[in-house]
This record gives sequence, C-alpha cells and structure tokens, in this order.
Amino acid sequence: MENLLEIRRLRKSFAIRSGVFRKITGYVNVLDDVDLDVYPNETLGLVGESGCGKTTMAKIILALEKPDAGNVVFDGADIHEAKGQTLAQIRRGIQVIFQDPFGSLNPRKRISSIISEPMIIHKTGSRKQRISRCVELLNMVGLSEDMLTRYPHEFSGGQRQRICIARALAVNPRLLICDEPVSALDVSIQAQVINLLVDLQKELKLSYIFISHDLSVIGYISHRIAVMYRGQIVELADAQDLFDNPMHPYTRCLMAAVPEPVPGLKSKMDRLIPDMDEIESSPCGCTYSGFCPYREAVCMQEKPDLVEKEARHFVACHMHAPLKGAA
Amino acid sequence: MDKEKGPATHNQKMPIYNKDSDLLVIRDLHTHFFTPDGVLRALDGVDLRLPKGKTLGLVGESGCGKTVLALSILRLIPDPPGRIVKGEILFEGIDLLSLDERAIRDVRGNKISMIFQEPMTSLNPVFTIGSQIAEVVLLHQHKRAATKKQALDVAMDMLKIVGIASPESRINDYPHQLSGGMCQRVMIAMALACRPALMIADEPTTALDVTTQAQILNLMKGLREEIDTSILLVTHDLGVVAQSCHEVAVMYTGNIVESASVEDIFSSPLHPYTRGLLRAIPRIGGLRSGESLQAIAGNVPTLRDIPKGCTFNNRCPEVMDICRGEYPPVFRPKADHMVRCWRSAN
Repeated sequence: MENLLEIRRLRKSFAIRSGVFRKITGYVNVLDDVDLDVYPNETLGLVGESGCGKTTMAKIILALEKPDAGNVVFDGADIHEAKGQTLAQIRRGIQVIFQDPFGSLNPRKRISSIISEPMIIHKTGSRKQRISRCVELLNMVGLSEDMLTRYPHEFSGGQRQRICIARALAVNPRLLICDEPVSALDVSIQAQVINLLVDLQKELKLSYIFISHDLSVIGYISHRIAVMYRGQIVELADAQDLFDNPMHPYTRCLMAAVPEPVPGLKSKMDRLIPDMDEIESSPCGCTYSGFCPYREAVCMQEKPDLVEKEARHFVACHMHAPLKGAA
Repeated sequence: MDKEKGPATHNQKMPIYNKDSDLLVIRDLHTHFFTPDGVLRALDGVDLRLPKGKTLGLVGESGCGKTVLALSILRLIPDPPGRIVKGEILFEGIDLLSLDERAIRDVRGNKISMIFQEPMTSLNPVFTIGSQIAEVVLLHQHKRAATKKQALDVAMDMLKIVGIASPESRINDYPHQLSGGMCQRVMIAMALACRPALMIADEPTTALDVTTQAQILNLMKGLREEIDTSILLVTHDLGVVAQSCHEVAVMYTGNIVESASVEDIFSSPLHPYTRGLLRAIPRIGGLRSGESLQAIAGNVPTLRDIPKGCTFNNRCPEVMDICRGEYPPVFRPKADHMVRCWRSAN
C-alpha cells in the first residue's frame, strides 16, 4: 500500500526559559523520534493525555511548526522542504478541524464567506462556482443552504463543527487532521459528528488523523490507533487488535481509566493506575518507567524501541507481557 | 397511575421530606432569568431528593440547567438578571430560600461547599494553597481554629487526606506550581475543610485527563465515607455516573425528566432521552461487540426556542400526539423511579 503521509524520525523540543533575562535553562522533548505512516482512505487515531505531543505533531504535519529533525513526506513531497507551488499544493491536500468550534469560526463573517475562504486562498473557481460549491458542501455535512447567509453565533456547537468540516473539505483535501473534534460537544451530538466523519470518508475517500484523549471515542472511528506518551509512540496497532490485546502498560492504564457506563462493574483501574508517588523516570530508560507497575531494572537503563511484536502490532516496551500473565 | 393534569396534581406528587433519611429535598424550583429579550426559564419546576450519605448524579447536556440548579442551592444566582421565583430547597429541615444573606453565608462553604470544573482558575493565583484552605476554616469555624496557625494545621491535615504527597512542602506552594489533578485535590481539600454535610461537585473531572479523573473519582468516593458527606455530582458523563453515584437524575431543558437509582437508570431507562444518551456513549466494550454509535437527532433546544408540550418532542423517536400538546407530569412506575414522559402513563 502506498503511503499518503510518511513521518520519519521526527523530533521537536521547546526551550524552557526562566529568570529575568529569559535564559534558556533546559529543553522539553515534545516529540522524540516519531515514525508514523498514514495510508490512503484510512483513519489513524492518535491518543494520549494532555501534553504528550499530539497537537505539536498535528502542527508539524500542517507545516505550521518546523521540526528540529526528521521529515514529513506527503504524497511524495517533503513538507518542510517544499516552497511556492508545491507547498501550496501540499497545504491544499491537508486540512484541519480544531477542537473548539466556537473559537475557530470568525464571528463577523457569514457562513458563505467562511466556507469559501479556502477556495479564495487557493484560487479555485469563479464566484458563482464557489457559492454553488458552498451549497454542495453544506448539504454534504447535513446543513441546509439557507444557512449560508447566517453568522456563526446563530449555530449550536454541533452545527458549528459541521461548518468547520465543510470549510475543511472545500478544497478537496486528501488528508484531514481532526484535533479533538468532538471533545467540546455533548454526548448526543458527539455521535452525530463521528458518524458524519465516517460517512464522508467513505464518500470522498479521505484519510484522517483523528487526535483525541479519549480511547473510547477514537475506537469508533479509527482503523489503526497510535498511543502516545511523552512524545513517543508506545503502541501502534489495528483498532480491534489494540482493544483485544493491549500490550503496553500505559495503554492498559488508559483503557482501565475510561469509566464504563455499567454500574457495579468494578474496573481494574485501582491496580493499573499509578498513585501520586511517581519515582523519577530515568532519563536514559523508558519514559513510562516512573509509573509502570511492571518496571524492572532494564526499563531504567534502556529505552525500548517500537518493534513489531505481532503482525501489524507495534509496541515499545521491554516486557510485552500478555494481559493474562500480568494479572 | 392517574392522569390528572395541572399544577394541583403536580403538588401532590412532590417529594415528601423525610427528616431522618433526606439531606436535601428540592420542590418545584423555578429559577428564571429576566433578559431584555424575555424570560428564560432555566429551571422550570425541578423536584429532587438527595438521601443522606449518598452520591446523586445530575446528568444532562450543556445548557440544560445543571449548573443553574447547583448555584440555586447555594443562592449564588446573579440577581439581576436571575431570580429564584418559586419553590423550596429544604436542607437539614430548613428552607434555604427563606434565609437572609447572613444566614446563607454561614451555610455556604460550611455546611454546603462546592467545587468547580476548572481547578486551575478556581484557585487564587497570588495566595499559597495552604492559606486558601485555612481561610475557609478561619471564616466558618472559629471554635476549631481560632488562630491562623491552627487553621494552617487543619489545612495540612486536609492535604494529607486528599492524598497530596509531602504536604509539609506543598502547603506553601502556589497554584501554578501544581498540576491540574493536584489543583483539583486542593479544591476538594478546601471544600471538605469544614466537613460539610453536602458537597456539590460541578463537573469536577471534565478538565482532567482520564487517568487523573479515575484518581479523583476514587478519592471522592473514599472521602464521602470518611468525612460522612453527601455529594451532588453534576456531570455530562454517564460513565462517571455509573462508577460513582447511587442515585441519578437526568435533566433536560430545565427539568428533571427521569430519576431513579443508578441500577434502574442503566438497566431499565424509561425516558427516550435517557435511552438515547445511553446509546450515544462511546464504550470500549461496545466497540468490541461491534455496536455502532447512535446519535440523538437534532440539537438541544436553547431556552429561547423550547418546543411546546414535552420539550423533547422534536427529537424524540417515540413521539405521540399528546407530547406536542402538553408537558408530561410526574409518573412513578416504581416507588423510586420518577419519569416525565407520556409513554409511561397507563
């Protein structure tokens, strides 16, 4: 299968500045040697807690941030080397939907100009064609065309997220980065937006990178899921496989922490979730070693590589114990 | 089940206050907001009962009035534009609505305390967490701690209770030095410092990561027993409710549409809205069995365009003619199961 997007050995760190003169006192590694592929017409879920580097990764893929090292290749062209026409082409091919549908629509613009703005930037079509495309897009996302002349404040959260989706689709992208697109929405609306994204993918043969902190949401839309922890991918597998056989202790911890809507069902979380007393993770060892209940000497000394433990199931852990053996 | 309509029936069906087992009983509470565009009925006849020592989960989507209800109990509704126009809030036998400003201040933070969704912004950034916890004790409980030093000792104990490692050094920290989960622990310490009879937690874990959320929920569960307090847990997450509540009340457009024990709500939900919510939650277990997510059609109506009759009628898959005409009264198919839906009338 030809890859649509290839991320190789991506690194990014931010400087910590302190004191009156804002001197650089250290660095945080936000992304640490990340390798990732996105195939055509698939959804790659990216899950992890706040601060694990999900959004930084999205920004780098969108060429909004420059990586320190490594490269991102979209459809054969390196995003961070490209200039002029090629870069414009790439940017057209990758669009984004953000978390907050209230902050990402300009309140002073009508829906028609919000949706046609990407088309104006990328100089597609005449004015008339753009308007008819707007109508087409609105129908596609389940809104009616008489909404074109309205302003964002007249819409609810779910409707706004639909408008954001319509705007992202305006220039026929091939890859859509969805950065926590449903976490600001109510449960009943969440499902609508997820189902819409699934339908649009089938119809338009899109690829998604679906970023979320919630494993249960991501499970419904993703074909493959990558679990991130402190700037590294610790596990990568097909969605079904990941849920059936989570290998990394962090993945298990994340799964156990999701409160199941079944009263009386005692979760295993007490054992898996680390208590407050974290021991210092060793800088040269596994980043999760500070919390890990299965920690052994090797974890403190050596950083585990992401290896293919089973077919299409990658994990970065020295233990890879199956769930039963651990329990 | 009788089908009489009108306010008279409604009054008879209001919860009866039982002094020994009930901590909080709310009857027919109406909180309205008077705006230039008209009156918004944020709470429109809420009935609620919280038994002693239990956790009641108040579930609903944004804008349904959960927070207004929480604020109404503490009489913190900004006036103007808001006003509690009608109803009773019986807490330990006293109607909170009849108290004057001095008396209600004695209840707030002392007998009823509240923690909010955003732990980072609810703490004052220019005071240490120790002094913020001590302030509550100094303000309300002179007998327990007359001097600042004694109050700080209480603060230290509270930090220990909420599981903050090395409280001796943490007590002098400022909020920005703590993580989100730690700030929420401090908020809980503050809320419980006076050993209140009721703690209102308004979306206490929504801003936190799942693993931190699990820790905080476990902590609250443990503390409820230890400090002997009841909890009103406001949340939109039915998973959280299933894991930590005894009773559940489901809210929609300013009213409680269904309330029952947590087992009944999850095993035999009666209101179509509750059923819809349950089907819409993404579940790891559901994914395994290949279920798809089922959305509730339409949007939550805003308070300005609430449909006539049953307020859920424009989204309800089981709508009948009567639903479009009249708001359903309270039906009680089982002793402890209340629902406002015409489908349950028989």
